[in-house]
Amino acid sequence: MFLKRPFWLSLRRNNINIWDQLLFFTPFALIHIIVYAMPKSPLEKTVENGISFLSKVFPLKTYLYFPLLNATLFWAIRKAQEWKEEIFSWKVWLDPDRIETKPDEFVLNFFENHTDLNRIYESEIRERDWAALREAFARLYPILGLGDPFLSALFHEEIESENYRKIVSGFEERVNQAEKDIETLEGQSGLLKGLKTFADQMLSLNLDLISQDKVQTVLAGLIKKHFEEKDE
Amino acid sequence: MAGVQCNYRTSGLIILFFISLFSSSACVSHLKKAKFHYAQGQEHSRRYHTEKSISSYKRALQEAEIVVSKHPSSQGYMLKGMAELNLEFWKEAEESFRNAHSYGFEEGEEWAQQLSLLGLASSMEALGIEDSSFRIYGYLLDKSKLKPVTIVAAQKYTDAMLRKALHLDGKERKKQLSSVLKEVQKLSDKDLSCGFYHYLQSQVYSHLADYRKSFEGALMGKELGLPTEEILRDNDLQIIFCYQNLKEELSSEEWEEFRARYSEWIKKWKWKGPETPDWKKER
Repeated sequence: MFLKRPFWLSLRRNNINIWDQLLFFTPFALIHIIVYAMPKSPLEKTVENGISFLSKVFPLKTYLYFPLLNATLFWAIRKAQEWKEEIFSWKVWLDPDRIETKPDEFVLNFFENHTDLNRIYESEIRERDWAALREAFARLYPILGLGDPFLSALFHEEIESENYRKIVSGFEERVNQAEKDIETLEGQSGLLKGLKTFADQMLSLNLDLISQDKVQTVLAGLIKKHFEEKDE
Repeated sequence: MAGVQCNYRTSGLIILFFISLFSSSACVSHLKKAKFHYAQGQEHSRRYHTEKSISSYKRALQEAEIVVSKHPSSQGYMLKGMAELNLEFWKEAEESFRNAHSYGFEEGEEWAQQLSLLGLASSMEALGIEDSSFRIYGYLLDKSKLKPVTIVAAQKYTDAMLRKALHLDGKERKKQLSSVLKEVQKLSDKDLSCGFYHYLQSQVYSHLADYRKSFEGALMGKELGLPTEEILRDNDLQIIFCYQNLKEELSSEEWEEFRARYSEWIKKWKWKGPETPDWKKER
């Protein structure tokens, strides 16, 4: 806490007698002691807890601390009714998929440029059996082309043994079964829990008594101060 | 591109965090929980975390089922349908979206109404009712002013048109492809900064065997950012496909010029080689 070098020390000049220096620096020294030696306020402690939590989750992503804590704060100082309104108006969307329909040349290129597929599907390639090639492409492109991590793990054995035809024939059944077997995840990630704790602590400080802008300014100052102290 | 991905990551974390607060207090509703789990499912899906996304969509479905059993509403059914759509329960999804429409949408819920319509069309398409779904995509593409709706409608419309074109020959095929290209170009002209529209153009040009333009579209898509990891990888493979075809097609002088520019791009993207993107394992 006292390690911070006070800015007013940089004002020090030579050739001034010791009493003049003492008279000049005393007010600055007092202010410094008040600011840095005062017991920390509950707000300061809460912010430090928040930073300490985030530094465990994202040790190298300090740029995220302010947006995350600020956003938590933004919601924490809102009243329950406003929360509810936000929740009901919160929009959800569908994400687009990739374009699955590829030209014949693309499908052929996929088989010809893969050493194993080129060998295994030699007759289909030679005869331009588009029905068979397209069926196999639909199953194998996500795995061998796009490297889908879920499907690659699911068909790990077949990939290792280069049994690509088995992947194609058992694809639907195996994927459907795997999807059925996946249980819903109970509980939330550590990040969400940590931020919730921060929000709860903020709420307990009755922050709605002061304006959001003021609290934001205080928060930004506290985060900045935290890193300045850490740097020294 | 790294910046764009970083933005996706940051915005993802912020969304997750907002959601965390939604799920915290006594005023939590099942509708809120359903939205929370649905959004989480989307986040996981964008990053190619299939197991986690399925798990979250299942959770969203459970919550939405509670909502519609206790207090049936258009939004409740819409969310149920969206979760079912992502879990590929097509019939159930179709029914949910029909129910959502039967309850009617309130003022300010146009987004939910259009999304329900889009979901209905998607489930109908999966069930083989292609003509009706196709008409809905066309309608939304034309009328919707909501970008997320237009983007999905454009993708569905383009894929359906390309599928149709595959069954046509010669002039008919070219006519069909030109028509879909025109539609996608219109979208791109309205919103040049949307990487996904450039990706769509690149895919259509690939069907027209115009690999130079397809390459340009894919390049624009990559540089402007694409919505999911899967699409980004598909786009990278399109870039490589164009590279391989242009190698055969261009004169030696043109090829040298193209290759020099291509080398600059792959250096920027930190690819392992001209045909090996950063995410691809070397064989």
